[in-house]
Amino acid sequence: MRILKWLVISQVFLIQIGCADKTAEESVPLPDTSYIVDSIAMPPGLSGEVGALAFLPSGKLIAAFRRGEVMKYDHENDEWSIFARGLHLPLGLLVRSESEVLVMQYPELTRLKDTDLDGEADVYETVTDDFGLGGNYHEFTYGPVEDKSGNLYIGLNSTSNGGVMMEELRGEINDDGLTEKGLYSAVPYRGWIMMLTPEGELLPFASGFRSPNGLGFDDQGRLWVTDNQGDWVGTSPLYHVEKGKFYGHPPSLAWTENWEGGRPMDKGVEFLDSLRTKAAVLFPHNVMANSPTEPVTVLTDEFGPFNGQLLIGEMNHQRIVRVMVEEVGGKLQGASVPFIDGGGLRKGNNRMVFGPDGALWVGQNASGWAGSSGIQRITFTGKMPVDIQNINITEDGFKLAFTTDMDKSALENPENYSVRSYFYAYHSKYGSDQMDLKDIEIKGVEVSEDGKEVRFGLSPMEKNRVYEIQLNNFQSVAGDSLSNNLICYTINELLE
Amino acid sequence: MKKCVGRRAWPSGIVIFLIPLLFLSTLFPSPGVAQIREIHIKAVGGLQFDKVRFKAEPGERIRIILSNADDMFHNMLITKPGKRESVVEAALNLAELGPQLEFIPKTDDVLWSTRVLAPGEEATLEIKVPSSEGIYPYVCTYPGHGTIMFGAMYVTRGDLPDIKEDVNIPEQRRSASLGAGPNAEDHAHHKEEEVWHPYELVPPYWYRIFMPESGPASIAVNLDDSVFYCWDAGLCRLRYVWEDDFLDISEPWSIKGDARAKVLGEIVYRENQFPLDLGFENQDVAYRGYRLVEGGYPEFYYTINGIDIYELIRPLPGQDGIRRRFRIGSGADKVKLNTQSPDKVNLKSSLGTWTGKELEIKQSSPLEFEVEMSW
Repeated sequence: MRILKWLVISQVFLIQIGCADKTAEESVPLPDTSYIVDSIAMPPGLSGEVGALAFLPSGKLIAAFRRGEVMKYDHENDEWSIFARGLHLPLGLLVRSESEVLVMQYPELTRLKDTDLDGEADVYETVTDDFGLGGNYHEFTYGPVEDKSGNLYIGLNSTSNGGVMMEELRGEINDDGLTEKGLYSAVPYRGWIMMLTPEGELLPFASGFRSPNGLGFDDQGRLWVTDNQGDWVGTSPLYHVEKGKFYGHPPSLAWTENWEGGRPMDKGVEFLDSLRTKAAVLFPHNVMANSPTEPVTVLTDEFGPFNGQLLIGEMNHQRIVRVMVEEVGGKLQGASVPFIDGGGLRKGNNRMVFGPDGALWVGQNASGWAGSSGIQRITFTGKMPVDIQNINITEDGFKLAFTTDMDKSALENPENYSVRSYFYAYHSKYGSDQMDLKDIEIKGVEVSEDGKEVRFGLSPMEKNRVYEIQLNNFQSVAGDSLSNNLICYTINELLE
Repeated sequence: MKKCVGRRAWPSGIVIFLIPLLFLSTLFPSPGVAQIREIHIKAVGGLQFDKVRFKAEPGERIRIILSNADDMFHNMLITKPGKRESVVEAALNLAELGPQLEFIPKTDDVLWSTRVLAPGEEATLEIKVPSSEGIYPYVCTYPGHGTIMFGAMYVTRGDLPDIKEDVNIPEQRRSASLGAGPNAEDHAHHKEEEVWHPYELVPPYWYRIFMPESGPASIAVNLDDSVFYCWDAGLCRLRYVWEDDFLDISEPWSIKGDARAKVLGEIVYRENQFPLDLGFENQDVAYRGYRLVEGGYPEFYYTINGIDIYELIRPLPGQDGIRRRFRIGSGADKVKLNTQSPDKVNLKSSLGTWTGKELEIKQSSPLEFEVEMSW
């Protein structure tokens, strides 16, 4: 076993949550900082582009990188060691034990086992390769994530017209899944989320995905999947994924059982729109996120006041997004807000996992797109952030709860709220503009006695739209300004 | 009233300007117009312009044709010398106004600009090159792109600097891997210069990577730094063996696109069919993985109609060639192996009898045998 020892020369960045004018310092957290971002020193020679990130039972980090390495990192002793090598674009890891992990690589899901316990895997066992490969660069594979019954879920990217399919490929070709423009699904189950049963059978689970670079279960057993803006995807969405449903990117429909034949694209937008399940949350492009990645659920109070909420990485900005969902009229919907925004966080936030230290570990990637590389760690200092704790739709507007007592005079002033709404078109074109953009009137503001909650009425309230809410001049009783002032709420259903 | 954000609307000023120009050029055809020099630039995968720099004469009229060959949105702005970074920053600061303004900040530092192009679209800039010599950056200001997607228009009568030292183009382009245009010097990639992993590479080692002349699930193995082979995990068979040097994987590892690894040597042996025949009418072959065995070599594991097969390929000491060990689990009455190898390949086996190129082992499995192939 080769052990590499590298001194961590971590640059410590301070996130200015609630203290907009503090400068970064190399020191222990200031008392008025809620989250600290620091960088893990990477060993020389490693690309540092993170495809997967997980923790072993021992508390060591295990990470997969673009050039096929799986490395272990002992944070306590700042030691990197190699666990596996030579993999094809690994983009997911699921830990089974200290000596066994599942890794999702381009052509297959593989079980890596260190049977002689020398620290490095010696068995690379194929768990499933029962899906098509066109030999196209864009056929990334994601996951696996596991449900409570032991089923695993993986995501199969659609094939890109930015590349070609190889002459030799894996799986039968289905012409119905082809398109002239955009992404397509001409070999089995591209654009699907697949379920692998404990018995080893890989079954199609849900269709309509373009580039689902992010799968995760929440604390209620719901499967969340992000997708990327592009053809048929007006802006990047977060889907609550359920068996048998179709999420909007048409070519994958060609692999639906008993598909009637013909290209799904040719069936017309109206028909396709009637089949699809809409996103629970839309991330407005260039406003909230351009390329959202892995959803991770906060499972404790150790990371601040957001237990049960989802955190989602973003590739194109120095940002991690926080998501709050609720069920309205039988459908899930909700809002996104920036959680960490700059302050030393890099771009390319591709994979995230909570460590045994309670911190959020973030792995960065670019793979030729906007992004970066390396691993950073976000630690909660214990200082309560001044932030939106939750948002709920009301019959005539929204109700906001804050993490701390707020200055009521700012909350009470309707001029401090600026709201607009728009929708994203469902069409074959790449992305969508903000359609039918409207300025929304603020009708009445009601602040709770303790200043921790505010209800504000809006006109009009309409469904199938994003409400982009800007909060200006908000600050806590202690005088700290609101750490972020942007909320994007996706209304699928109104509260009757 | 509906208020649509028209990302692709042409500024009306251009239309007004174009009409009289068209009129004039019809009345007074100028010989110079036909000779306007065209510069073709493509936005390509990996957030790059395919042409990363070009030369223009001071005062020259040129036509820049930008086409978006990528699968994302891109624009192109030409800025005053030294203003690339501040223009990118200003574009980012447009925040939610960015899309309406095509991510073009309102500043005199932007000399020319195209609108945002969707994949497959094209835009043309017809410009009179400034009369003052200088390095005029061009850059995509679509959010997230500006820090890596740029190039340089050299307005000069002199020579361009050595591309390796050119700080006006993205760092990864200074080795000209994507082809930096007609003025670029092409530098062959030398893998010795690069450190690709955080550990020393000692053979045997291998990569799962897109390989030429093989399927999409391929494995390239370096046996001993002089003999290398490609194994196809889709078809469960050896595809070819080569000699000299191993692989150049820099392209698949650095760009976005369909790049395959490059074989750095001569393919000395190709195997064109599945070699094992266990006597079934139809053979259903399934790949199961590999494990590391003595010497660190990968032993591939697959099944034929449920029968376990383990195949190990190692160097042939003292000779040009390979030795292959097959371990066949129980269930087969006899085993045939036919590689249909060319005449120059010498074949030897530890079991069975040869009839031409075909080996036949008349015993039921489990069994183990080794085949030496030299050339």
